[in-house]
Amino acid sequence: MPEPIQPTPIAETGEPQASQLAMPVWLLVLMFLLLYWGMVYFDQHSGWFNTEVYVPYYSLAEVQEFQPPTGGVDLQRGKALFDNVCALCHNPDGMGKPGQAPPFVGSEWVVGPPSRLIRIPLVGLTGPVSVKGQVFTFAASMPPMGASFSNDDLAAVLSYMRQSWGNKAPPVTSDEVKAVRAQIGNRAQPWTPQELMQIPAK
Amino acid sequence: MVSSQTTTQSPSVQSQSAATMAPNSPVPSAAVPAATDTQPPVPSPSEIDFSCRLPLLVLFLSGAVWLLIASAFALIGSIKFHAPDFLAGTPWLTYGRVRPAFIDSLLYGFCIQAGLGVSLWLLARLGQTRLNRRWAVTAGAAVWNLGLTIGVVGILWGDSSGFAGFEIPRYAIPLMFMGYVMLAFGSVVVFNQRRRRELFVSEWFLLAALFWFPWILSTAALLLDASPVRGVVQAIISWWYSSNLQTVWLGLVGLAAVFYMLPKLLARPLHTRYLALFTFWTLILFGTWTGVPASAPVPAWIPALSTAATVLTLLTIIAVAVSFYQTACDRSADALVRSSDQPAVKAQARTRTSALLSSPERLALWFVTWGVLGFIVAGVMRVLSTLPGLSETLGLTWFTPAQSMLNLYGFFSLVMFGAIYHILPGVIGIQFPSTRRVRAHFWLALSGIALVVLPLAGAGILEGVELQNPARAFVEISSATLPFLRVSTLGDLVIAAGHVLFSWTLAELVLKCYRARAVSAYKTATADLFHPVEVKS
Ligand code: HEC
Repeated sequence: MPEPIQPTPIAETGEPQASQLAMPVWLLVLMFLLLYWGMVYFDQHSGWFNTEVYVPYYSLAEVQEFQPPTGGVDLQRGKALFDNVCALCHNPDGMGKPGQAPPFVGSEWVVGPPSRLIRIPLVGLTGPVSVKGQVFTFAASMPPMGASFSNDDLAAVLSYMRQSWGNKAPPVTSDEVKAVRAQIGNRAQPWTPQELMQIPAK
Repeated sequence: MVSSQTTTQSPSVQSQSAATMAPNSPVPSAAVPAATDTQPPVPSPSEIDFSCRLPLLVLFLSGAVWLLIASAFALIGSIKFHAPDFLAGTPWLTYGRVRPAFIDSLLYGFCIQAGLGVSLWLLARLGQTRLNRRWAVTAGAAVWNLGLTIGVVGILWGDSSGFAGFEIPRYAIPLMFMGYVMLAFGSVVVFNQRRRRELFVSEWFLLAALFWFPWILSTAALLLDASPVRGVVQAIISWWYSSNLQTVWLGLVGLAAVFYMLPKLLARPLHTRYLALFTFWTLILFGTWTGVPASAPVPAWIPALSTAATVLTLLTIIAVAVSFYQTACDRSADALVRSSDQPAVKAQARTRTSALLSSPERLALWFVTWGVLGFIVAGVMRVLSTLPGLSETLGLTWFTPAQSMLNLYGFFSLVMFGAIYHILPGVIGIQFPSTRRVRAHFWLALSGIALVVLPLAGAGILEGVELQNPARAFVEISSATLPFLRVSTLGDLVIAAGHVLFSWTLAELVLKCYRARAVSAYKTATADLFHPVEVKS
């Protein structure tokens, strides 16, 4: 290695120099602010290295919120089935349709004992029927609209009905539906309200 | 090691410089102190310049040729927005091949070659060392150009690797890698043999850049070409590579030139060493994590990290802006000189200013100044397009190409033009044949860049806003951007015209230089024949 060099002509003839003034402090402050922001941003948007979290989701909790549930009843599927099948007569808002079907909002049949509710869509219901103290009489009785549903699907529809439009009742499980199906056997005759009232509330 | 090589090389360099030194050489050979016993004399600036001549001419001239090739590809690609049928029957001139050929010619042909040439010269000048390995460096340039030619022909042939910014087919990469290593080796040797031991800020940037590129190139070549990683990891590597090249490497080399040229041309000290240090570390530490788009279909932590890092590159941009402003615009240093009661100081300052304003150096200063502005604006655009809230609108639109064009042309190329115009006359020993042409190049470059970047950015914003509206069809939105793209064709044309002027100036300088050399060689060889009497007497 050469010895330290003496000052030379070139240094004097204008190779540039840099001044030794201190750098502005605000730039350092800004750096720490931005670093802090960066940490907060990373904390909120990274899903903490979880390989299942992709944009536009930023955390595992968010991703799970949008997953189909693996157990229990699927209220979203319940709503879809209701809107497709039952709402034809009962209206999507569960208010029923004049001359066609009675309402579900606050109906003692809907929020009442599951053992009676489950029986209605399985083999149908023939009136006149009293809902919230009002007696409804229709030209046609209710057909067995839910007979072809799987246990899971019927539990989903009924749970949706019991938890929508202000109704607040515990969900119906698919095991309960299965049990009721077994009790009914191959009955095809629609229920009457009186018959249903005989069924124990469990 | 130092002394032996310098002594063996110096006779040839000396004779070469003596033969071609034009009378109006801008760098008078300074009086060199007498050599001591242990240490050969420190070479004068012109000696250093002459020692770099051959590799610099090869690098800059081939860079200029690639610039012309790139412009041709850019124009062909751009014209397809007016006439989709244009050259559509020729597979190797379809948009999907011409566009990557354009970007790679510009990036690897001009930017990297010009950058390496400027680095070599800066390291030699700042280290007060002659370049002793000019054949190794020149051979490196030749290998690099050979590799790149094979690569670009490969892209046109249809062998593009498919990774943006890394389209060069795998069979061309080893040659380019070898060429780069030879080129960089020359610079590292120059740095190692430097006579001025304390480092100027530019030297940090250059040294980091020299090692940065082989690192990223070998990583990309290994993980994308040699034994490709699986699935989305490929996309991540490709984003990482191209942002490390375009943000970090170009940033390091471009800023090294800026930090050298600004204080030198303005004859003021750079403001300040510590700001430059801050710029260096923020660029390296944060720039290297950038590049993954915010909407990338990869685990969320990768774009999150990239976004945070991109926002942190604001620090680099601000530091450069402050440094630039304080160096270039702060008049307090001049005021101090003016108020001085020593007439000598005043007179010196006055001649310095008037010399600056009249000389062709002023044009170099213009290029560098606008290059710095390009760096700032391109950097802010990069931050904007990744910022949460804006990235959803600006990402995946024309805004991204607008940003990268501004970075390549508006920052890096402008700075390189300035540096080359500053370096070449000294290296050749001939003043500019025409400052008018350089001035015209400046205005064409500036207006061309504006005509490319502004419409593309406008198209990007329009596209981004319209895409949020589900009522509008995608095709409808795409065709709404057409008028903007067409204006950008005009910009490509203007830029190409500027490049023609640049290449012309370069070619003319080089021709003059070699004609002068040939004439003087002829004169020396024939001196005995024509003037035997004179010689004998
Ligand atoms: C074809 C029209 C029709 C469809 C479709 C229909 N219902 Fe009914 N539903 C009726 C009628 C009519 C009654 C009243 C019975 C009567 O008075 O004869 C009724 C009554 C009921 C009742 C008891 C009265 C009340 O308001 O609480 C329940 C519970 C019920 N339906 C459930 C369902 C479910 C669950 C479905 C979908 C799987 C469904 N219904 C689909 C016509 C329909």
